[in-house]
Amino acid sequence: MATIELVPEPAMIKKVIQESRDVKSYVLKLDKSRKIAARPGQFVEVSVQGFGEATFAVTRTSKDGSDFTISVKRMGHLTKMLHRAVRGDMVGVRGPYGNSFPVDAWKGKDIVIIGGGIGLAPLRPIIDHILQHREDYGKLEIIFGARTPEDILYKEDLGIWENDETIQLHTTIDVPFEGWNGRVGVVPVVVKDLALKPDSRVAVVCGPPIMIKFTVAALRELKWSDDRIYTTLEMKMQCGIGQCGRCNIGEKFICKDGPVFSLDQIPEHAL
Amino acid sequence: MSKWHKLKRTDLKDFLSRLAEKWEVWVPYRVDGKWEFGIYAPDREMDFPESVIHVSMKNLFFPKRRPIAKYEEDSKWSMQPVAADDKPRIVMGLHPCDVAGIEYMDKVFLNSEHKDVLYESERKRTVLVGMLCSEMADNCHCTDRGLTPDSASGMDVAFAKVDDYYLFKGMTDRGKEIMQSEYLKAVGDAPEKRKWPAGKYAIASPEEFMDMYDDKIWHELSDICLTCGICTYACPTCVCFLVTDEKFKGKGERVTVWDSCQLQSYSRMAGGHNTRKTPASRVRNRTLDKFAYSHLRYGQISCTGCGRCVMVCPLKRSFPQLGARLSERIRDKKKSKAGTGARSKED
Repeated sequence: MATIELVPEPAMIKKVIQESRDVKSYVLKLDKSRKIAARPGQFVEVSVQGFGEATFAVTRTSKDGSDFTISVKRMGHLTKMLHRAVRGDMVGVRGPYGNSFPVDAWKGKDIVIIGGGIGLAPLRPIIDHILQHREDYGKLEIIFGARTPEDILYKEDLGIWENDETIQLHTTIDVPFEGWNGRVGVVPVVVKDLALKPDSRVAVVCGPPIMIKFTVAALRELKWSDDRIYTTLEMKMQCGIGQCGRCNIGEKFICKDGPVFSLDQIPEHAL
Repeated sequence: MSKWHKLKRTDLKDFLSRLAEKWEVWVPYRVDGKWEFGIYAPDREMDFPESVIHVSMKNLFFPKRRPIAKYEEDSKWSMQPVAADDKPRIVMGLHPCDVAGIEYMDKVFLNSEHKDVLYESERKRTVLVGMLCSEMADNCHCTDRGLTPDSASGMDVAFAKVDDYYLFKGMTDRGKEIMQSEYLKAVGDAPEKRKWPAGKYAIASPEEFMDMYDDKIWHELSDICLTCGICTYACPTCVCFLVTDEKFKGKGERVTVWDSCQLQSYSRMAGGHNTRKTPASRVRNRTLDKFAYSHLRYGQISCTGCGRCVMVCPLKRSFPQLGARLSERIRDKKKSKAGTGARSKED
């Protein structure tokens, strides 16, 4: 019999990285020889046996596709269980599912990555892709906002991006914090301060709903058209394949028709 | 072209008993005044109701609780997929609206690169022996949804009740084997085609429904709805489900369970964010999903006019009435070309 799509494959946790006080990353390797060839923006369903499954963006894929990484913010039932998992533990994986960022269509353009908190996770594969094909793209600008310095993710990457002359990185925290000498202010304000011009750029925005909403408003104020602004949407998802019903925005399913959309593809109330 | 064959009413039990030697035969039974399907047993009183069976077909193809994998609780990972059931089955006595419901489920579960193989095996093992309706019950409104109560479309075998006998006709290759029964030798005349009246629940077009997204009517409609979700469980095309793990005495199962978009928990995410917090947003989602989104997705609205939602609604105001009330509002709106309500922030 053909395989039941909703039954996950076993995968082993190869590495656990404590990213911040409530975010851990897990490097996963499928038990079988199948490789996960996730395109930037795709997601997987990850299971803890006995506790169910949840949706996570693939935040990094190894070059040979033999392993991939998810970042998990401790939020609910399943993420609490995942946070207890250690190296060598087994989890279940389905996917990758969903569409992806149109990185091929973006060739030759300047790219602005705008991430808020854990919202940087689904955007990191775009940065990885650009750095692997650096000559195909123009300028790369990254705006990353965290609530406090303790919520900053991917510190190793931020260090690398900071030192890369082809990248302009702006890291900001929401409110002043003792010992923090960097930029302070929420992401939409930073976007306005930087007066980002649309020119030949595309912007990719992901973060908490309120951050996306106001960042989009800031970009529109700076005369960005909706077809140049991309986001990856989040909704309650279960099946990941457009059948369980719950992640719809109008007739579209975020899991199947998305999660990546340019703003001209979705109604305003989706933000 | 195949002919209609007669089955004497007095031969019905023998006919079914013979079929039951090879097939698992499902027929309608009356339980506490309501019709539902059960496995044929010769000593149990059964009959074929003239029109809609209270409990829909959905459970026979997509059970309300469906194990998809099993595991041992004390292991980190031992999940094994379940085996599909492939015992040949006959479902006899379903109606044209039930066939339409099954065809809609096919669109959800089979027209996909990730098709549901458990659903597919339920479909493959089942021969649909459908009964042409001889009347429309109080809440029937399939004629408002483009269906015909005595249409044999989509059935493997069609049959009709006439006087003291039944008329059977094979519609597909799968149905032929049933037609070879020794009890179906006598040829009869085709059952008379009737002219059917419209139902009580005519609706607007999908496009007109889409235009109502921002209307304040959703608040009015949600005021007369409990958002209890019973209509979604009764509905033959509502197939939203939840995937969850259940444990009992060391044995675990991963199951799909019917879920309902009318319940607050349906869209609530970890951390509490909910895109459809209010009853109005949930009533809007279901109404538009039935009459517009489904059409945009699959080219078929997801209402078959079976009327089960009316039968089960605790307030008896239920879903098609909301749809009809909304359609009325659409007509009024078109006439006056005015009157949109406040824009809602929710989807």
